[in-house]
Amino acid sequence: MSVMIEKKYFFILIIFLLALGSINVQAKQQTAKQVVEVFQSKLLKVMQRGKTLGFQGRYKKLEKAINTSHDLTKITRVVIGREWVKLSEEQQQKLVVVFTQLSIAAYADNFKEFSGESFKFDSEEETTRGGMIVHTYLQIPDNKTVKFDYMLKKKGGNWRIINIIANGVSDLALKRSEFTSILKKDGFDALIIKINEKIETYAK
Amino acid sequence: MVYQNKILKTCSASFYFSILLLAGCASTNGSIVSTDDPYEEVNRSVFYFNEGLDDYVGEPVSSAYDFITPNFVQIGVGNFFNNLKDINVILNDLMQGKLLQAGEDTGRFLLNTSAGLGGILDIATHVGLEKHDEDFAQTLGVWGVPKGPYLVLPIVGPATSRGIPGMVFDAAANPATYIPIPIRSLEMLNMRANAKGTLKVIDEGALDPYLFTRESFLQSREHLVTDGQSELEDDLDIDALDVDNENNTDLKQASDALNTTGSSLEKTGSSFDETSKKIDQLNTRKLKNLRR
Repeated sequence: MSVMIEKKYFFILIIFLLALGSINVQAKQQTAKQVVEVFQSKLLKVMQRGKTLGFQGRYKKLEKAINTSHDLTKITRVVIGREWVKLSEEQQQKLVVVFTQLSIAAYADNFKEFSGESFKFDSEEETTRGGMIVHTYLQIPDNKTVKFDYMLKKKGGNWRIINIIANGVSDLALKRSEFTSILKKDGFDALIIKINEKIETYAK
Repeated sequence: MVYQNKILKTCSASFYFSILLLAGCASTNGSIVSTDDPYEEVNRSVFYFNEGLDDYVGEPVSSAYDFITPNFVQIGVGNFFNNLKDINVILNDLMQGKLLQAGEDTGRFLLNTSAGLGGILDIATHVGLEKHDEDFAQTLGVWGVPKGPYLVLPIVGPATSRGIPGMVFDAAANPATYIPIPIRSLEMLNMRANAKGTLKVIDEGALDPYLFTRESFLQSREHLVTDGQSELEDDLDIDALDVDNENNTDLKQASDALNTTGSSLEKTGSSFDETSKKIDQLNTRKLKNLRR
């Protein structure tokens, strides 16, 4: 009988510890700096194995890395701007899907080789609107360093990258100017066709 | 496209004015006009002309140069012309009041010219004297001259109206301008060969190469003028770009408009009251006159 009681208490203790563990995991959410650094280290790893992985291999590895560090729905919404509300829900979803594919494909194509590059953390600052900016440098051997600033916002309690500014050139602003212009001039279908064409070009 | 030949830049100043005249006559055809780019239609035509010229002349010639010239020679050629540009960088450092940077850049120039065999070797970077990027257009920006409209110049490529006097000054202050043209064309070839990667990124990634080039050029120039202090302030306002917040702005504008309508209705109402009072007064006078 006493053995049974001990077993019962042991069982309760295990459940309690497991619950405590999950609370602990919740408390250990990544900081904005950690989100950026984890993404950068994954990117460098993909670059190091770039040639053996091939485009598809790099795409698969980066897909996970980008989806867990970027808020691509928000990025798409900001890129499309005022036109977003004029789109149907189906069109909005379609746009998020192709925009995500385009972003991953661009990374997979542009970061295919490794020649000793490394990222260096510089500083971080909180923005007045509750976001974070993580300042880093991309160091390229025998070349000028490139300033990489990451803007992050919280999404469901997790920090997510919403913009990258390389040497003062904002990725979001570039895409916003292109996408809104095409959407206004040529319409939704033309924009999707153009994005898909670019994805195919990257995959070649 | 980056066409950095300063001689051509200087020559095309007169072309700039003809573009402005043309632009004055051009209609925007209902397309979206950026405040930075009021002459988009003309700029686009020049951009596509430049692209065509690059496809037929620039790219084939620079590819041939790239093929026959070893990498170390290309680096040496680039270093040589970059070293000459450092004189201009020093002058602009001084005009912007960056005295410490001017000292560093003078050290760079002296070291590279002497130990770097006339500038062919960039020893200064290896000893920690980083190369700075300053030009007269940036100096004008620092002095408060507005950048003016975005322009795409034939052969030269993207510029702003502030960049035109900048180009003239920089060309005059660069010893390379006084080198015979065949040698100068080597610099152009070398730069085109080095820009291959960047141009590939634009060709592959841009949905609209014209807009991609314009936005990246304007942002990059702003970054240089403000020494990296501008972009974050602009980008911090990301919430303002988000549609959720835009909807809020729209709502505010709508309620403001309603308030204005309300107040104008009130005014109409009060003026109506005044009119009816006047009519009453007139009627009373008429009645008094009739009684008399």
